[in-house]
Amino acid sequence: MTSTIKADVVTAQTTNGNVTLQGNGTGTVAISDNTAITGTLSATGAATLSSQAYPTAGGLWSGRNMVINGSMAVSQRATSATGLGAAASYPTLDRYQLAGNTNGRVTMSQTADGPSGIANCLKLACTTADTSIASGGYFFFHQKFEGQNLQRWAKGTADAKTVTVSFWVKGNASATYVVALEDADNTRHCGFTFPVTTSWTRITRTFPADTTGAFDDDNAYSLTCIFHLSAGSDRTSGTLPSTWQATVTANRCPGITQFLDSTSRTFFLTGLQMEVGAATPFEHESYSETLQKCQRYFTKIAPKVNAVTVRGYNSSGAVVSSWFSFPTQMRTEPTCAITGTWAVSNCGQPAFQSFSVDGFLFGATTSSAADTYFYPDASSEYITASAEL
Amino acid sequence: MNIQSVKKINDSATGLFFAYEVLTDEPNIRYTVPHNEENSDYQAILEWVVEGNTIED
Repeated sequence: MTSTIKADVVTAQTTNGNVTLQGNGTGTVAISDNTAITGTLSATGAATLSSQAYPTAGGLWSGRNMVINGSMAVSQRATSATGLGAAASYPTLDRYQLAGNTNGRVTMSQTADGPSGIANCLKLACTTADTSIASGGYFFFHQKFEGQNLQRWAKGTADAKTVTVSFWVKGNASATYVVALEDADNTRHCGFTFPVTTSWTRITRTFPADTTGAFDDDNAYSLTCIFHLSAGSDRTSGTLPSTWQATVTANRCPGITQFLDSTSRTFFLTGLQMEVGAATPFEHESYSETLQKCQRYFTKIAPKVNAVTVRGYNSSGAVVSSWFSFPTQMRTEPTCAITGTWAVSNCGQPAFQSFSVDGFLFGATTSSAADTYFYPDASSEYITASAEL
Repeated sequence: MNIQSVKKINDSATGLFFAYEVLTDEPNIRYTVPHNEENSDYQAILEWVVEGNTIED
């Protein structure tokens, strides 16, 4: 049956002024082509336009992904590192720390693979198996967040929001791992298992609102988004909390497959997004945007090889130096490092004379009152600054 | 950061302390760590001292 209303104006007659167009729950309410809508259009609930889901309450049109380098595009330190798993480190992809304490070893790399529209992924390959993880053993990777970047959650208030973590994942075989959010300010956590198959699959997990425990509004470590891949009974003997609770070690990652149980294991992940509200499509950004975000925590400065970095003249035993600014202000005063033995003329090896969140004074002590300079004579000689959480 | 030794370093002009020179098991890298509790490597130095190690002057 088809019913038609022909009218120029439909006016609300109810006391609240609402006009409702209501389908039967399975069909659609259609507006014919070339029909303009004027005034303010407001919608509650999830919205899908042209098959694209759009941010729900609390979300943003851009800047909604709180993860940095979710597309695995930036890898300032190295694109591959081997023999990992005995300690915590930032070996390859920016912002992703790998941590472990078992006899298993892995190779971590930035790999050119991903679902449609995402060029790179984080790849882990087990190279030395540990088939009997000790009770206190663990192996995971994670990204840490500053509290001041999480205030949109309204965590610890009556207005607290749900948060969704989404990502694309695959492996060499079917497996189950755990993604969790761990609140370092209030020692609380919440986590979910997720399946891995041999094909790229997008996983979405929505974490409930937590009205307990606000994040500190500062530049310190407040939260981690963590992927548990192997663990001993100390961390697997409890029950995974699907609602926020005070952290219990035994509840951190029950139900996971042991990634380190075989050298055939591989794990691929990309398109990592953490946002307030329901899952939305992955928020792409330019390489330069991602790089600048990463450089708040780590930056690599590689002066031109075989070209003078600093040159000057000073009395014997004095310092010839120059100030270098960081590409962006760093989170806090960084650890600065010099790699390799630099080529020098009339001076010792260069060193940091001072530094701040904005840059560093780089120089060397002269051997005599003469022309003095230094420079890297190989690409393995460079400077880094790290202010990781 | 697997610390082997930590030494205080002073500003070349003022002579005042400003950071720590840290040698680790990475022989090809020289680290300079600020005296700043927001820096995670400085936190590692504090833990290293608690383990019974001494910072050189």
